[in-house]
Amino acid sequence: MKVDRRTVLKGTAAVAATSAFGMPAIARAQSNKWVFAGSSPLTGPFAQAGTTALKDLLDWVEMTNDMGGIAGKPVELVHEDSGYDPAKSLANFKKAMSADDKPIFYSGDSTGFMKLVAPELQRTPVICGGTSFASDLANAQTHPYQYIAGPTYQSMFDILLKHVKDNGGTKVAFVYSDTEFGRDPIEHGKATAAALGLQVVHEEVTKPAGAEVQTHVAQLRRADPEYVILHGYVTGVWPEIIATARAFKMETQFLGTFWGMEKVIADGVTAKAGPVLDGYAGVLPYRYFYEAKDSPSYSQFFAFKKQKYGDKFPGYVVTWSLQPMFSHELVKKSIEDTVAADKEVNATNLLAALDNIKNWDSGGYMGQPVSVVNRSVPQGRVYRYGADNKLFLPISDWIVT
Amino acid sequence: MIIGDYKATYAADEAIFRSWPVRYGFAALLIALAVLPFGANGFIIFLVTQVAIYTVAITGLNILTGYTGLISLGHGALVGVGAYATAVFANWLGAPWWVVMPIAVVFTAAVGLVFGLPSLRIRGLYLTIATLAASFIIIFIIEHWTEVTRGDSGITLAPATIFGTPLVSDAQKYGLIVPIAILAVLFAQNLFRTRVGRAFIAIRDADYSAEIIGVALTRYKLLAFALGSAYAGLAGSLWAYNFLALLPTQFELQLSIVFLAALVVGGNARTLGPVFGAVFVVLIPEFLKWAFGLLTPLNPTIVEYTAPANTIVYGLLIIGFMIFEPMGLAAIWTRFWRFINLWPFSP
Repeated sequence: MKVDRRTVLKGTAAVAATSAFGMPAIARAQSNKWVFAGSSPLTGPFAQAGTTALKDLLDWVEMTNDMGGIAGKPVELVHEDSGYDPAKSLANFKKAMSADDKPIFYSGDSTGFMKLVAPELQRTPVICGGTSFASDLANAQTHPYQYIAGPTYQSMFDILLKHVKDNGGTKVAFVYSDTEFGRDPIEHGKATAAALGLQVVHEEVTKPAGAEVQTHVAQLRRADPEYVILHGYVTGVWPEIIATARAFKMETQFLGTFWGMEKVIADGVTAKAGPVLDGYAGVLPYRYFYEAKDSPSYSQFFAFKKQKYGDKFPGYVVTWSLQPMFSHELVKKSIEDTVAADKEVNATNLLAALDNIKNWDSGGYMGQPVSVVNRSVPQGRVYRYGADNKLFLPISDWIVT
Repeated sequence: MIIGDYKATYAADEAIFRSWPVRYGFAALLIALAVLPFGANGFIIFLVTQVAIYTVAITGLNILTGYTGLISLGHGALVGVGAYATAVFANWLGAPWWVVMPIAVVFTAAVGLVFGLPSLRIRGLYLTIATLAASFIIIFIIEHWTEVTRGDSGITLAPATIFGTPLVSDAQKYGLIVPIAILAVLFAQNLFRTRVGRAFIAIRDADYSAEIIGVALTRYKLLAFALGSAYAGLAGSLWAYNFLALLPTQFELQLSIVFLAALVVGGNARTLGPVFGAVFVVLIPEFLKWAFGLLTPLNPTIVEYTAPANTIVYGLLIIGFMIFEPMGLAAIWTRFWRFINLWPFSP
């Protein structure tokens, strides 16, 4: 008998369906599906990231259901557009929580939403994750129903500053956007730098888009830092700053955080402006998708995509998708643990299960076993971009903060 | 030509509800609003509450822009002032909503008065730019005065309480916010039957002429800013008690533009204009989302195309209203009731 991917999936589904009869009584008594809801920026400034991530998430759900769902029940994904407006996301949340099939998990699309929804979660509790790495959210006392699917921005700064220290750096500068996102880790970063004996020689605050890059780079050049950490950008500003600095013959090492680490953006800049990003490095909490050989989860998703799309699948999944996929993996694990403990699948029990995730093998999303600490997963690795091979490749071990 | 509008007494001429359909229509609306929380789900109640808050805010803009002719792009930021004033004073004083809300209204009126000072020297596009600058200044202060506003981290406040019951559910908040919004709209309707309201209209039509007939421009322009800002403050206060968490980004320029668009679509210089405008900007996007959502079962990834289509259709609707009914939805409404009132002799 030929054993292909479909056969394996069908077999797994059959085992899962059979095991559903043996699932704990409380789980059997609940709804016959898991509803996951969320908001995505399908229009507005982050539409490119939002639409790509949603399509990958729909595939992740399809693959999960093909494999028998979660604890024997299928997943239904309900997503609505927010236009990256926290108020619209909140309206979407209200709509989801007013539906007959209430979600057991809600995925937000901005830090703003995560903060706006906090009082609402007290009244209608549901476990809530999302795209935000905001440090404020990693606090079960102030945000009891929320979690971060990775390290906080402060942890990312810790990882980068440790990398600077390990590489003999002494002078560092911070360049960040004048947004909540940009300002988040700055004070903490200064404290960490001081503790590590690093000197923060300059801080440069820019607009989040359309910044006067030359003026900012001139200031940076005067400060002459060995390392510059760029933070608070997604698709714009950071490449222009690096390109302008290279034009000014600055040899500073530029470093970035999660949202400035997407290969598609770096490749686009390289195609248009040449190898200006060569050597740019930064922290990523997850493996890049092309490291699938080290990740059974990625390999499985790769096979699913290849089966579904054939040659139309380019073989790469953007980091913007890996983050929500990992977020959903954490919820999946929490549901499985809750069902296994024969407890009702509700917000309180799911959060307890989430908090109890220790040394979990995430299937290779992350390099170290995953432990949830303060509602976050504080680990990451430093990658460097090569303009010749157009890949971000690791230059550090996995660092747990 | 308007016909069938004969009035034999001053009382008839001054009446708020001038015909039986309007009277009964208003009564029916009140009944519908009263029973809504008992039948609708939380999301519908939330949307109607949001319509009420927007109505108050846009009514303030209507006083300033529609009736007095002073175009403001800072109204969203003033709503933010009202919201933050509510949260800050509620947290500082620990006072109940009926104490905090008037403080927030007066505070916002005072802030609006300060930002209205340029209107004494400039008007038209120049004044619009000045209000735009005011918007940026207000948001900058809210973002950076972290000791008071908590800046980017956002600020929260305790829910309003009535007889010791915290108003946390959508229906409870609706019960507080919607009646206040109705009173605010009725107050605005009355305002334009007074000397003050007529002075505003005179300034809008020709400020030099208004001055010649005895309208004190300085006083009334500043009064318009103060009143418009007071409404913004009230809307902000209701907003704060509805959301219970505030972020500076909620009150940026886009909100001011939404208010202005709502006023144009709803019909400026008409009491019902802000109501229709608020209904339009809050409910139409949700309706379009629902309508396009019907296609999702056909293909889950179709949302990639329906989400932008939703935005485009919404934009086209706004443009369509401006082209085909520049007087706004309120004008269509008025024509409809006039038709009913005169039937079977309607023209």
